Amino acid sequence: MLAHNLVAPASSSAPPSPFAFDRRRRRQPPNHPLFPDASPSGLAGVFAASRRFKVFPLKASFWETIRSGLLKDSATQIVDPPTIPEEEEEILPQEFLLFEKTLPDGSLEQIIFSSGGDVDVYDLQALCDKVGWPRRPLSKLAAALKNSYIVATLHSVRNSPGSVLLYLQKLPTDESAQTKLIGMARATSDHAFNATIWDVLVDPSYQGQGLGKTLVENLIRTLLQRDIGNISLFADSKVVEFYRNLGFEADPEGIKGMFWYPKY
Amino acid sequence: MSLKMLLRGTTSAPLPTSLHLRTATTSRHHHPHSLSITASSASSSSSSSATFPATTLSISDAELESWGFALHRDPASLDLDRLNAVFVAVGFPRRDPGKIRVALEHTDALVWVQHRRTEKPVAFARATGDGVFNAIIWDVVVDPSFQGIGLGKAVMERLVGDLLDRGIGNIALYSEPRVLGFYRPLGFVADPDGIRGMVYSRKQKKKK
Repeated sequence: MLAHNLVAPASSSAPPSPFAFDRRRRRQPPNHPLFPDASPSGLAGVFAASRRFKVFPLKASFWETIRSGLLKDSATQIVDPPTIPEEEEEILPQEFLLFEKTLPDGSLEQIIFSSGGDVDVYDLQALCDKVGWPRRPLSKLAAALKNSYIVATLHSVRNSPGSVLLYLQKLPTDESAQTKLIGMARATSDHAFNATIWDVLVDPSYQGQGLGKTLVENLIRTLLQRDIGNISLFADSKVVEFYRNLGFEADPEGIKGMFWYPKY
Repeated sequence: MSLKMLLRGTTSAPLPTSLHLRTATTSRHHHPHSLSITASSASSSSSSSATFPATTLSISDAELESWGFALHRDPASLDLDRLNAVFVAVGFPRRDPGKIRVALEHTDALVWVQHRRTEKPVAFARATGDGVFNAIIWDVVVDPSFQGIGLGKAVMERLVGDLLDRGIGNIALYSEPRVLGFYRPLGFVADPDGIRGMVYSRKQKKKK
């Protein structure tokens, strides 16, 4: 998916994918014999440097991977998730690749993080079902998402076997790509001082890989970059340690979380 | 504890970072006592505001009026510099009024009391949230010169009542230790079911 967005010309009539990468944040790929059809002007439109953002460092290694993947018969290619730099100097793109791997059937699966909040409420409902949360009315779910300051998502995008090269040659779109919502976390906020994180969930079949951690870490980075000074949440006792490892402190200075419920 | 366990814990224990409190009848949680903490919002179709008892007011609107106070529920006539002064007076940091304005624009509900004669804001509380499931109350303040007569309670009861009227069942806040006793009689419980309030701190973050 990343690849086909990269080579599509700016005026492409291809339908936008649900969370299209912002092509302006791409870096010019190195000159390579396998990309003979990539015209400089086509790519320039895609790789316009008009924005002030620095390119997320992952892109370099991603391109390395793509190249070596095409040059030789690669078995499983797994790109390790990048360690998030301690100093948040680079502005976080709204959407970026966390990692990718080649599955046994030869297809490529990419895990994409996005803070753009483009979530299909039905997909979210299905994900909540998968993790065993009770149903909430769809309209309220939609309203809650809309009223959230940031909705962060993890999507899995699978390209069918053999299609990677096709994407680079700018063939259409999503017929051979499957996109799946596999994680979500959202934060409400007054847009100035405080933000509170709610509803952190990861598809059970994708758990155990550090995705929950990455999801929350990147949500935090997004909030910090928007200058929200106070990020809070309420953690079930079983996950207090999880959040502590992400930098959260329980009852700082004795400050207690309290909830209202009626006394009968 | 491995992360895998923690995340499994995330799924089996409903909504650790999103707590939805609901009354007993429709609860599916294993908790034996009547005030069960479940993963679902109270706002399922039939059970919205009917489930919550109306909050009674300790001081009526009429009484407040007779004491020379005006009640407000919007920030239109709120003097932000004077509000800032109240924040400072109770020990909050002074904040950029521009940021306060932004915060108020993105506040779900607020209640403030104005002293008519001086036109000063003397009590204030606001709530942010997602407008349907969760709300958090922030910045509950009473001007020190006007403390002790029930104005804090007055704003809190009304703010909670307004949120409940909208069907928002999960109302939370962070309380300094010395004012836990202020919130308890209003119906707030600390760490229900072991849920902990946590705040992000950059210097707290462990290095891998």
